[in-house]
Amino acid sequence: MRQAIEIAEAVRSGRTSAVEVIEACLAGLAAEGGELVAVTRILADRARHEAQLVDATVAAGGNAGPLAGVPYGVKDLFDVMGLPTTAGSSIYADAPPATADAEAICRLREAGAILVATLNMDEFAYGFATINARHGTTRNPHDVARLAGGSSGGSAAIVAAGLLPFSLGSDTNGSVRVPASLTGLYGLKPTHAALPLDGVFPFAESFDDVGPFTTSAADMRCIWEVLAGTAALDSGDLRIARLGGRFRENADPEQIAAIDAIAPDSALIEVPNIARARSAAFIITAVEGGTLHRAALSRDPMAFDPATRDRLIAGALLPRSLYDQAQRYRLDFKAAILDLIGDHDILLAPAAPCVAPTIDDPRILIDGVLTPARADLGIHTQPISFTGLPSLAVPLHRPGRLPLGLQLVGRPGGEAALFRFAEMLEKRRIIGVSSAAGAYQGEDA
Amino acid sequence: MAALAKKLPLSIDPFLLFLIGVVGTASLLPARGSAADAVGLAADLAIALLFFLHGAKLSREAIMRGAGNWRLHVMVLGSTYILFPALGLLIVALTAGWVDPLLLSGLLYLTLLPSTVQSSIAFTAIAGGNVAAAVCSASLSNLLGIFLTPILVGLLMHIGGDGAVSSWHLIRGIALQLLVPFIAGHLLRPLIGGFIDSHKTILQKVDRGSILLVVYSAFSAAVVRGIWTQVGVGDLLVLLLLSAMLLALVMGFNFLIARLAGLPREDAIVLLFCGSKKSLVSGVPMAGALFPAAQVGIVILPLMIFHQLQLFLCAALASRFQRQGERLARAGVIPRSEADITAAGAAVGLPITDACMPGVVANLALLDRHAATLKGGTPS
Repeated sequence: MRQAIEIAEAVRSGRTSAVEVIEACLAGLAAEGGELVAVTRILADRARHEAQLVDATVAAGGNAGPLAGVPYGVKDLFDVMGLPTTAGSSIYADAPPATADAEAICRLREAGAILVATLNMDEFAYGFATINARHGTTRNPHDVARLAGGSSGGSAAIVAAGLLPFSLGSDTNGSVRVPASLTGLYGLKPTHAALPLDGVFPFAESFDDVGPFTTSAADMRCIWEVLAGTAALDSGDLRIARLGGRFRENADPEQIAAIDAIAPDSALIEVPNIARARSAAFIITAVEGGTLHRAALSRDPMAFDPATRDRLIAGALLPRSLYDQAQRYRLDFKAAILDLIGDHDILLAPAAPCVAPTIDDPRILIDGVLTPARADLGIHTQPISFTGLPSLAVPLHRPGRLPLGLQLVGRPGGEAALFRFAEMLEKRRIIGVSSAAGAYQGEDA
Repeated sequence: MAALAKKLPLSIDPFLLFLIGVVGTASLLPARGSAADAVGLAADLAIALLFFLHGAKLSREAIMRGAGNWRLHVMVLGSTYILFPALGLLIVALTAGWVDPLLLSGLLYLTLLPSTVQSSIAFTAIAGGNVAAAVCSASLSNLLGIFLTPILVGLLMHIGGDGAVSSWHLIRGIALQLLVPFIAGHLLRPLIGGFIDSHKTILQKVDRGSILLVVYSAFSAAVVRGIWTQVGVGDLLVLLLLSAMLLALVMGFNFLIARLAGLPREDAIVLLFCGSKKSLVSGVPMAGALFPAAQVGIVILPLMIFHQLQLFLCAALASRFQRQGERLARAGVIPRSEADITAAGAAVGLPITDACMPGVVANLALLDRHAATLKGGTPS
């Protein structure tokens, strides 16, 4: 699959038609999508109709948009007009259909992009694994015996497999950046609430964001501009720093080596109390998620995915005073981080702490102890969400090996700097997407 | 709210002692002849004054602030204006022939009244419930009561004989003594609302003084007509028993509804307290406006008994909820044992089934470790 901006350019110039792109995409999804357990619904009729509209605009000499004819998918928690918004749960499988598209989908449609599928996720976005009781476990295209990460695992796997050029996910504590890291993609968590959340099923509103998965920094820049409705402009020297302390523990040595190679002489910022920040994020997420679903849990707890259900119930039972304490700590921590960042534009940190764990043994090593991947893959992303800072997960360039990702963390509203720095690293071939086709199956990195 | 808590202990309401004193005075020294006419006129004016003050006190802003929780308000209003009257009719039907019909009329009348405002909010606050929703629910109940209670009285209390309500008397009473002063008071709220809100203590004395005057007038007329030859200690005991049954049924039903609807603890408390109350402050003057003077005394007797009973029970329940809330919130303690988890679940309207318990225990253990890290303990 080509990059989104290449497809759009080809459609706008008339070298290919949106209908041809969509038919090829639908055929690819039908032929190869099944094994990944990434797609929950294919929207063939809608996609064909929208493709015809794009082709008609091109034929009439109109502006078909920066994403003309580009197919994409969305995580199963975006409102899609005429379909129930399930949030990955069988509880909402028969919910009344959404009466309008989510705002992000509307903006992409206006830019010419064509929605072709909804994609698998952890139920209610609660997890880092995309182990879904209703649809099954999403597979990593680089090794189908491994997890794709979560909770936006379907959105990541389908792009990593080359079946869609981009997709949308949501990131509350790392649900875009973790799967991007495990499947070797670019994945963005924007500055908190900077991209439209209207029509997106919530999880924990203190941290919820939507973000794209792409195969290049240029695509990420283009899609962010469409979603944000503004140009990603910045200039001047970029001041880089490395995040130290807890961010350099529980990471693959190659991630640390890459960070040190990218900015060898840069400042090493020691962020204190990372563990406290992550714990506070855990508590806020648990309480907000539990509160959101409390009424449904009291009505019919057995309709929930058992793993999600018990986590949500536990969150609903936490004392309010603990939640208030966590929120107070969040404010203090955010102020301290902004102070520490000083005048740096980019902070480097690992994304997921390791390569994708296997589906048969979904555990990872944290502080020398095997812990559930579903809960702990976000060890480095969760503290960043806690601050609301933007963070772009980028894939280390390592063709033929299981993917590893880094986070480029920016200042509030500093996405443009992240895109520019990612483009620079891409040119230096330090980061970049590697094809999953022919990747070795089951061999460890 | 601590002061309110102290005002509402498990004891006799001091105002009830005043009421009993006034009933006693009316029994021994009833107003007769021209004095009765003067007291009657003063009582009529007091009723109009009371509703003028009710109108001026009603804050639409307070209603709007808590109005988002419409499902809860529907439940509270349903309890006040559907469940209560239905149970009232049932009790009247089941006990007709056994109990004095005029006393039964009084019992039915109390079931048609709006909820109390002040004590509903105070008890909700003590119990750790959703105070904003309680303010909205109780105020809404009172506002609707101005219209609904007379309508329900008109519809349900045409029972003939001494309990009959003449429709002309009803319409005139509503218009002159309830609606006009209430609307006038509320329209003048922009001008006098600030004064009303900042002089609540003085106005409460005016409120209560007016009620005592209405009660004196009503019981004077009733005594002259021989109320105490008609109502004996046995009747009062029967009334107490019937009132207790009524209150227990309403509270039990509301508790069940809160569980079935999965209401969080704070909202369940609102339903329990606002949905089970009946307003003496509204009920006494309304009776004065709606019923013939000679009947008012006996009609409000059940309300006075019910009033004290509801204060007893709600004070006990509010203290219990308060202790439970303090236990839950104490130092942010996370429930870890199955018993504590079950209790914490019950407190937020979330039953924990056997199938969920092991997973919930494990997740709370994980969250407890995170809580320790947050508080500066060992990192997770």
